[in-house]
Amino acid sequence: MDRRVLILALVATVQIQSALADSPKITAVLTSSDVVVGETVQLQIQIDNAGTSVKPPSNIDIPGLQIHYTGESTSMTMRNLSVTSSITYNYTILPEKSGTYKIPSQSIRVGKNNLQTPELTLRVADSPNPTARAGSNRAPSGNTQTGEDKIAFAELLVPKKTAYVGEMIPVVVRIGFNSRTRVAEMAPPQVNGQGFTVQKLGEGERNLENIDGRSYVVFNYKTAISAARVGNFQIGPVEQKANILVPRRSSGTRRKPFDPFSEDPFSDPFFALPFGGLMEQHEINVKSDPVSLEVKALPAGAPPTFSGAVGSFSMTAEANPKRVQIGDPITIKAAISGRGNFDRMNAPELSDERGWHKYPPSSNFKQDDDVGISGTKTFELVVSPNEKLTRVPPLAFTYFDPVKEKYVTLQSETVPLIVEGNAPASSAIAGTTPGASATPTLGGKQKAQDILHQINERGKIVSSFATFYARKEFWLAQLLPLTFALGLMGWKVQNVRASNRAALRAAQLQHERDELLRKLRRDQLAPREYFSDASRVVQLKAALKQMNIEPATVDAETAARVFDLNAEQSERMRRLFATSDEFRYSGASNGEGRLSGDGQRETLDLIESLR
Amino acid sequence: MKLSVLFQILVLLVFALPSAEAASNDGPSRTGDDLFAKANTEFAAGNFKAAIADYEAVVGSGAWSANLFYDLGNAYFRDGDFGRAILNYDRALRLDRHHPEADANLRIARDQTRSLELTPSALERYLNFGTANFFAIAAAISFWLTIILLILRPGRVLWAVAGIFLTAICGFAAYKSENGTHGQGVAIVIAENTEARVATVDSARSVLALPAGSEVLILQERGDWNYAALPNDQRGWIAASAVEKVRL
Repeated sequence: MDRRVLILALVATVQIQSALADSPKITAVLTSSDVVVGETVQLQIQIDNAGTSVKPPSNIDIPGLQIHYTGESTSMTMRNLSVTSSITYNYTILPEKSGTYKIPSQSIRVGKNNLQTPELTLRVADSPNPTARAGSNRAPSGNTQTGEDKIAFAELLVPKKTAYVGEMIPVVVRIGFNSRTRVAEMAPPQVNGQGFTVQKLGEGERNLENIDGRSYVVFNYKTAISAARVGNFQIGPVEQKANILVPRRSSGTRRKPFDPFSEDPFSDPFFALPFGGLMEQHEINVKSDPVSLEVKALPAGAPPTFSGAVGSFSMTAEANPKRVQIGDPITIKAAISGRGNFDRMNAPELSDERGWHKYPPSSNFKQDDDVGISGTKTFELVVSPNEKLTRVPPLAFTYFDPVKEKYVTLQSETVPLIVEGNAPASSAIAGTTPGASATPTLGGKQKAQDILHQINERGKIVSSFATFYARKEFWLAQLLPLTFALGLMGWKVQNVRASNRAALRAAQLQHERDELLRKLRRDQLAPREYFSDASRVVQLKAALKQMNIEPATVDAETAARVFDLNAEQSERMRRLFATSDEFRYSGASNGEGRLSGDGQRETLDLIESLR
Repeated sequence: MKLSVLFQILVLLVFALPSAEAASNDGPSRTGDDLFAKANTEFAAGNFKAAIADYEAVVGSGAWSANLFYDLGNAYFRDGDFGRAILNYDRALRLDRHHPEADANLRIARDQTRSLELTPSALERYLNFGTANFFAIAAAISFWLTIILLILRPGRVLWAVAGIFLTAICGFAAYKSENGTHGQGVAIVIAENTEARVATVDSARSVLALPAGSEVLILQERGDWNYAALPNDQRGWIAASAVEKVRL
């Protein structure tokens, strides 16, 4: 039962967290913004926190481009009970002719929201070889066999021939092996060259492709390069060693010692039954041709807020808290999203730094792709106001857009702010020590303040910083109230016991009184016994009225005083006790006869009138 | 017989313990007074390093006072070590919450270094009217009054529940004050160019650059590194040599 409740609570929490998730966000990226005619490129539209009701565009019509919807993928991540879902809609774009194409903003309805994708630019160059399978700036296989004899190949695909310094250029390394072989061992390839940096190579994606009528297993490795300086560079070649398993030739066939590069191993009839015989392992070396790349300098006249970023970006920013004291830190989180060189990007800057003190920012990058050229970099800037200000000025972020070939400056929105307190006084000098040297400063704009004077009295001496409850003295001091409480408890117990004794005594007296009264009313008693019991009842009643009186000590006068009797009643009381004493102490017998009814009634009336 | 024994214990508690503490302080105080006076003279003569050494010697004797830490803070300030100046002003304020000179000089030193301060939580800001000691004493008084009420008036259940509730609240407040941004884990960055990092290596990514004098809350100590809550509400690893706890 408990476990069910726990699971329900967890599910409810997850649903609440999911319901309270951020509003839907949309991004759209091209896997490459530069292609050649005949080469395909992927358009990915990703919607975060989409929920269920999403209507992606089924047709995107752009003359000169064939765009086909190829499917969707969904991913869900759960972190600290916060569920984030994202849907990615994939489109394949096949350019039919060269030119620069604008993929317009697409309107996608997500629940009640209407989201717009950013406008994308795709540059399509003419294919240098119309018959080539892909016509970009590629370096085809430079070794192994060619044509039908090819057992393996290596290709280096670079989508651009010219780039700007710092621009991230996606690169694909393709290593293909004839499908009749098996790859026993192969390390990830290396992209060699100087003058550029290479991102970490992603995991190889394995595909089966048909090239020139032959089937190949092709490993696609994605990475990105970024030129560090201006000039003409050679990228590659990519050289790759691999151990492959090739079917052994039949023994009856005349053959030379195996040389996979000098003859076609698949001409052997054994390939008709590739798994019927044994395999031979051979080490081969495949190598692509290098690719040349012209790297241009960034245009002059970069704005002062240029961050070093090259690519295409967008920015959002938020600041918290919005109510502070002067000097309190405010954290501004700026998220730069898009595609470009995130590793060389500096943080956005305050457009107006007057009245603010800045601290060094920190950053965190979350990439959206395998190679780290697309994603979101979040900067945390800590600033503190030096004076009363009403707003956090907008952040300015400038980047160079290689497609537009110009600098673009993004500005965040102004955040309203309440700054409380007073600015520090300009001087707080009070009795400065004459011999003191000048106060060292850190070069602030304000006049440096001086500290207050030295105190020559030591003051109250203590030996511990610890809080009271962490000291043994505190707990020893608790013995004082503990002792008091124990004493109080003992006194209380004694009182209760005494009270119990009094109650017991009263109960006994009442019981005896009731018994005697019953006896006096019902039984025909002898006079001696009657008066003895009657006087005893008076004594008991007096003792019950005043608990400090012992019943045996009560006489007629005591009874008259206790019950506040009048003269006539006092006289009757005196006679009752006298008669009782007379019968008790005079030695007289009980009397021969019974007591008269009037006498009995008179005595009972007197006893019952006692209150 | 029993009452007389209890009485003797009470007398011991009331008189013997404070006198024993005073006796234990007598020795260090006498030598401390001389050193303290000497340090003051050296400070007045502008020999700040010598003054610092003497003040530190007094601190090392274990006989502390708010004025001692205040003066030591001033000596560090004059010597240009703002991180340790802030540390000692803070210590002075821990011993005397209403030390006006320490409070003023702490503000000046923080202004000089642009040091970062921990942001107290909403609950801490609410509890700021009292110290951990105040809440501890309030909890003890509330507890014993409740016990006495229970002894004298066992039937007053609601009053007893209210008393226990008040005790729990005061105890919780004392705990929060002791473990919050003014509690036992607070440390001051004393080294220049200190970086809080995501891991316990110098090459790990920086979480926050901490100017000298910045406050951090030590959450865990592991060898040469301390895991700490930072002023920007994040957490990171700081070299143990770069920070010093306010409480000795």
